[in-house]
Amino acid sequence: MNSENPIVQMRKVCKRFGNIKALDDIDLEIHPGRIIGLLGANGAGKSTLLRHIIGLYKEDEGECVTFGREAGKLGPKELGRIGYVHQEGELLDWMTVKQLIRYVSTYYPNWNRELEEKYVTDYEISTKARVGSLSPGQRQRLAILLAIGFEPELLILDEPAAALDPVARARFLDLLLQIIQAENRTIIISSHILSDVEKVIDHAVIMKEGRILLDCSFDELRERFSRVRISALGGELPVELPFENVVHCKRSDGQAILTVQDCPREKLQEQAKSLNCWVEIEALPLEEIYKIVVS
Amino acid sequence: MSILTVNLKHLYQRRGFWLVYVILGLFAFAGIAVLFKGPEAGQGRFTGFVVLAPVVGLLLAVLPIEVLSKPFSYCLPGHRKVPRRFVFCVGIVFNLFGSLLFFVYPYLNAGQLVLVVCSAFFAGLISYLLVAGLAFGVRNSVAFIGLLPLIIVAGQFFDLHTVIEGVIVGNPLVVILVGVLSSVLAWLWLGDARLARRYCGVPGIGSLDAWNRDKMQKYRQVRLAKKWDKLKKHPSPWVETFFLGRMNRYDYVSTGRYIWGGLYTAFGIALSQLSQWKEAFSGVFLALVLVCFLGYMGPGRNILFIMPGFIIAQMRLPVYSSMLISGGRNERYRGAMTLVITTAVLITVLVTIVAALSLPLAAIMPDITLRGRTFAFYAMNIELFFIPLLMIPIVFTIQLIFYRKPIFMMLLIMLLFMLLFWHEQFGAVINPMYIVSPVVLSWVLFLLVLRYVCTRRSLVGQG
Repeated sequence: MNSENPIVQMRKVCKRFGNIKALDDIDLEIHPGRIIGLLGANGAGKSTLLRHIIGLYKEDEGECVTFGREAGKLGPKELGRIGYVHQEGELLDWMTVKQLIRYVSTYYPNWNRELEEKYVTDYEISTKARVGSLSPGQRQRLAILLAIGFEPELLILDEPAAALDPVARARFLDLLLQIIQAENRTIIISSHILSDVEKVIDHAVIMKEGRILLDCSFDELRERFSRVRISALGGELPVELPFENVVHCKRSDGQAILTVQDCPREKLQEQAKSLNCWVEIEALPLEEIYKIVVS
Repeated sequence: MSILTVNLKHLYQRRGFWLVYVILGLFAFAGIAVLFKGPEAGQGRFTGFVVLAPVVGLLLAVLPIEVLSKPFSYCLPGHRKVPRRFVFCVGIVFNLFGSLLFFVYPYLNAGQLVLVVCSAFFAGLISYLLVAGLAFGVRNSVAFIGLLPLIIVAGQFFDLHTVIEGVIVGNPLVVILVGVLSSVLAWLWLGDARLARRYCGVPGIGSLDAWNRDKMQKYRQVRLAKKWDKLKKHPSPWVETFFLGRMNRYDYVSTGRYIWGGLYTAFGIALSQLSQWKEAFSGVFLALVLVCFLGYMGPGRNILFIMPGFIIAQMRLPVYSSMLISGGRNERYRGAMTLVITTAVLITVLVTIVAALSLPLAAIMPDITLRGRTFAFYAMNIELFFIPLLMIPIVFTIQLIFYRKPIFMMLLIMLLFMLLFWHEQFGAVINPMYIVSPVVLSWVLFLLVLRYVCTRRSLVGQG
């Protein structure tokens, strides 16, 4: 997959807002067909990074190229391949939902009416309502529809599920999984709801204070971090446990729970054999991996 | 720290208010300075602060309403009744200070002076509470601030300050009695639990929001959306058909599609409104009232040519927007350029028509005599038609540069307004070169700034 030309290339990108360094020396390549989770705390630079990709921000230093063109110079040809759901929720409030859909669809030759109708029905969007009178959740659903209606090659989702209720969130994830079925569709999703993100992503980028701390495939990430549960079969656990690269250890009453980094599962199993204990090794959920990486 | 103290802190924490204080300070200074001319009785020289009290009431009462409208404050213990204490605290301090001026009132003995000072205090408090009450009673009452110039002119014309002074000095006991009664009523009314429920979570216009274009636009659109939702039908389908039809004439990658799209989003709302006969009729009626009013204003009537500058300051160019359509920076540039040119031409034509309307009216409108002064109707100087063409690009340039700093935008536009209004040669600038050069320069400047913004600057967020 990586042999293909990247659709987004960021090289040494820096961006400042006054005294704040929003992006610091960012190097990133996004290849087609990937579902990337962009993770980080508030103010980590996620939205800034996404806005550089579509040319809404211009980098102070470095270079950002999207679909082979400098992001700041993207035109209708390239932007017609990018869908973007943004945090601000800016829409044309005076229009009816139907009007807004018609207006936005006028810009895209490949607008999928079937998908639109299906989405409107599934998500119970009232097309007669004025956009300004929609609830935050309904607005978000509409924003998602406007971003996916033309089946973009690159879909950028900046906190897309923040305003959705649990049922709508679950439906949204299903929708993402459907979108993913299409070949070479690339999705970048920035969200704080990591339990949702981990269901769909195959690549993770973790940011902190404007820098990328980690950029790797999700499988690799899950390989790197494991949780080892040890229970003594009789008596006490040894004082010294034979594991390397332990990030966190919690012991109580003949039991221990270890979080281990950069230690292959086979090696862990081998080390566990030397103990006269019941050992269980499992992958860490994304939320915990994230906490370890940023701490 | 008490809840009231925390709320009072807003008075200095809101930086936008600093400008309000400077303006109020200037008025207060004038109110005191006029006494140095000679503290003569019966000329309204003592009532500066009493006259200022309702303005303070209107501006500052909106502050606790803003706090009240935040849902979290509804839930905070003891918070719902704080607006009442806030309003009274500010009112008492302000009017206490203002009433002290009456201590130098001539021809009164010590006892009378104390009575008159109390009377002045309550007179100020009555007008303050009346307007503060209005602020709480009428939604988005801060908009009444727009009537202030009219009230000032009318007040001066009818010698309101002299009348007020006469009432304060002539009937102190009555004023005090009315003051106490109205204070009690205001105290009870402002403490009503229904007020808190009424404002909780309801979007409204804040004290300084009139210059926050985004907030105003959002508010207007949401209000309109709710109004139209009730109609249950599309108010003007031809607007959509027309603009989408024009957009579809162009190729998907053609700039024409984006230019028509920009015009649709900018004018669609206004056209939809105007295509309803009630709104259109109100528009024509308002234009006629405006012409009649301005015609009697003497040299000030030519303010008509400057007024559009204020209106378009609220307009939003399709430059800073996070709603992504397939138009890039170049499309935003061309779309915004076309929009501004269209706006300038439309407004110039509209203003010229309104000014032309005043020409036949000048022949038929009668002279009006009020309080011994005669007002004649004069036609607007139609040769000043170029003023919108000069002003519009400058206003948009200011808007582009200070997009994220509405307070600077407001100051600069006000400065521009004053420069044009008080230009001594306002009526005598009809030299073709004198017209063409600044108009061309303003357009060149606008296009350069627009180009720079569209190619170099961040188009959303904080950058």
